[in-house]
Amino acid sequence: MVKKKEYKEWPPYAPGTHVHESDISEKKITFTWWEPEVQYSWSLGPAMSKFLMGLKEGKIYGIHCKRCKRIIVPPRMFCEYCFGPTEEWVELPDTGIIETFSISYLDPDARRIEEPILVGVVDLDGTPPHHGFMTYFGEMTKDEIKIGMRVKAVWKPENEREGSITDIKYFKPLKGGED
Amino acid sequence: MGFLEKQTDPTSPMHWRGDMQADYFYPSGIAGDKFFKHLMKNDTFLACKCSKCSKVYCPPRLYCEDCFEEIPDSNWKEVPPVGTIRLFTVARLNAHGKNLVTPKVVAFIDIGSTNSAILGIINTNDFNKDFTNAKVKAILRSKDKREGTLKDIVYWEEV
Repeated sequence: MVKKKEYKEWPPYAPGTHVHESDISEKKITFTWWEPEVQYSWSLGPAMSKFLMGLKEGKIYGIHCKRCKRIIVPPRMFCEYCFGPTEEWVELPDTGIIETFSISYLDPDARRIEEPILVGVVDLDGTPPHHGFMTYFGEMTKDEIKIGMRVKAVWKPENEREGSITDIKYFKPLKGGED
Repeated sequence: MGFLEKQTDPTSPMHWRGDMQADYFYPSGIAGDKFFKHLMKNDTFLACKCSKCSKVYCPPRLYCEDCFEEIPDSNWKEVPPVGTIRLFTVARLNAHGKNLVTPKVVAFIDIGSTNSAILGIINTNDFNKDFTNAKVKAILRSKDKREGTLKDIVYWEEV
């Protein structure tokens, strides 16, 4: 990190000085500001389409590879282990275990936040070990979250779902006796 | 099912649309700042000369990029906003790839009496002409509307 220098008067300029926020807002310096239009359209393909449309209905779809005898989630049209076509759609439960997690003090726009958000990979029940997708974890603190913890999905209300991975708001801890 | 399944519903292959925020902020720098602030109040450009290799920069620099010699303020001078076209192209598409109603002639203009060049737009209706080596002068915005960017040069006109 470059040590930030404060100047009593601004300008005069000195080489290697920082640009202050007020320099921009009060237009003390000349600059070019441009907001490019960067729109993208990602074609999901048949497997991912079915997965996301399933989330809209509150279902998690996986796909079965008969040769490797495993369920792939998020689904793909071919198995990346044996390169064979995947065959059969299966509906998976919305429970699983925490495969890995991260305590993030940055929000999705990389702004610093006081209360950390918990993100990680959930390994759904019925899928092979170490196999899952990224999600948020909620209803637990940063001290409570553990790898291997049993969790259950908390869905958005049905009318708010839009066929996105965020249709699952987060995964909450599953207490003993619940399923 | 799965791989052998036929797509029958044309609405089902979904597209995920998004908009990436990628704001672009480019401060002019110390030398560039002086250049643009001068341009906001005057109708001339600033240039600076390296005392070691005599190269003249416009827009000015703090250091000579050839011999790394620091250029003092005393070597700065005003130059008239005229130049010669070194190369040019006729743009028929805009930055987003859409067809332009009227094409634009974009040229690389050697600033007279300096060793530097600036990119600019040529004001013309003749898109089949060879502009190489044509003498041009900068047409600037009215002084009250200048904002200290290269857009203060509205276009270049043949003289």
